[in-house]
Amino acid sequence: MEGILFPRGVAEEREGLAAYRARGGYEALAKALKTDADEVIKVVSDAGLRGRGGAGFPTGKKWQFTREAPEQPRYLVMNGGEDEPGSKKDRVLLENLPHLVIEGAILAAYAIGAAKAYLYINARYDDAIKSVNDALAEAKSAGYWGDNILGSSFNLEFEVVPAPHNYVAGEDTAVLEVIEGKKPLPRQKPPFPVTVGLFGKPTSVNNVETLANVAPIILKGADWYRKFGTAESPGTMIFSLNDDVRRPGIYELPFGTPLRYLIEECGGGMKGGRKIKAIMPAAPSSAFLPADKIDTPLDHNSMRDAGTGLGCGVVRLIAEGTCIVEEVLKISEFFTAESCGQCPACRMETNTLTMMMKKVQAGQGGQPILEQFGKILAFNKGKGFCNLIAMPGPPIESAIKLFPGDFEAHLTTGKCLAH
Amino acid sequence: MSRVCLVCQNIDCKARGSEPLMVELQKRIADKGLNDVEVKPYMCFGACQEGPNIVLYPEKNWYAKVKVEDLDDITAHLAGGPHVQRLDTIDSSLKELIYQLLDTGVI
Repeated sequence: MEGILFPRGVAEEREGLAAYRARGGYEALAKALKTDADEVIKVVSDAGLRGRGGAGFPTGKKWQFTREAPEQPRYLVMNGGEDEPGSKKDRVLLENLPHLVIEGAILAAYAIGAAKAYLYINARYDDAIKSVNDALAEAKSAGYWGDNILGSSFNLEFEVVPAPHNYVAGEDTAVLEVIEGKKPLPRQKPPFPVTVGLFGKPTSVNNVETLANVAPIILKGADWYRKFGTAESPGTMIFSLNDDVRRPGIYELPFGTPLRYLIEECGGGMKGGRKIKAIMPAAPSSAFLPADKIDTPLDHNSMRDAGTGLGCGVVRLIAEGTCIVEEVLKISEFFTAESCGQCPACRMETNTLTMMMKKVQAGQGGQPILEQFGKILAFNKGKGFCNLIAMPGPPIESAIKLFPGDFEAHLTTGKCLAH
Repeated sequence: MSRVCLVCQNIDCKARGSEPLMVELQKRIADKGLNDVEVKPYMCFGACQEGPNIVLYPEKNWYAKVKVEDLDDITAHLAGGPHVQRLDTIDSSLKELIYQLLDTGVI
């Protein structure tokens, strides 16, 4: 099936302005400028576009909230921090399809009534930053942004902001702090950025992939878009596979595609022909799925019903013979290291979980220690400014539930079942 | 197992002076010759609004909102004196959560 973002397979080379225009590039912008912003929001809402950064929030609704916020000016922020380990979709989009992303950003700014858009891009992505800057220059010369875009009264300025590459720097409000010249620390919410965002003004923060979907939706319409995917999760999503499969890479698939298709047909199965022990559909913060759930459809509702999530599409496979205790300890240590430390509860939770998991690894604490994980997570639920505090829970609790033998082996012998 | 005084060193307790408090507690315990008592920093007991927090283990006594002026009473308690009732203000369910955790060896 053709893709929406990659109509001819994953873009391997950078698409310049001429090539982008030859396939209808910036026609969506011309079309949108002939209608009003409410119509753009309506089409995106009718298409059912959901954010691709992890939360899956309806994009049209986010834009509506931003547009309806009384304060002026309003801002658009593209979140290309891409700090999720193993995620590379935003990088590929920014490097190879910069005009698709920029057109989406212009449309988003038009929809919310913003005159300034910030493109926040992972500072390590030198090629992506260059590609976007070059594309911005090309697009400006062609009159796609600046003053009186395509002869209309719509004005828009762009600014590229390099993003620090620690994990929380990709959190929506931490992004705003960085753009304001401060440290990447998440803000307490509410208020949400749609009402009190960048410089205290209404702001829509949208992921790169989300914005890349906008021009195709405006150009071809909501009905066309809904031919892809499921009723609740229309369209496609880009999934990232890493070194655990034979063919690592990114793959654009319609929502609802079985996980098995991604792993076997796209990824070529596990490297070395090993059997799958567990699947993490949204590494590192989702619950594990057991191998027999490999036919679960890749969409928000199916993943939720299976007890896990879709996140930003980094799918990780755990091979038979891998110790889940060791894997979960690494995940726990990751969140402990990446907690920004400003919320006491998050420091308490992430540090305590790691201390506990180290005890388990060393064979200390017995069964009672396993019962403490849920209690520590429950105690800290809902505390903290951002969602990081909720991230270690699903992998830890699902691991204890699905693989009791791995924990039992450590607790009785201090060694892995696998070794 | 020797006895430990766990002094919270998370953000809130630190902001309320738990660092110098720990140093002072260490000193007073040494002055009193309580050689079986070890003073250790602890990440957090989850009672941030009640800090600085000190938990005595394995006795399972939790003293909250501790000030330097309270340390003589706490060391006296460690030396066999009375429980310092006025500092024992933490909710029993939270105490139970933390004591269970400490019982599993997470110290």
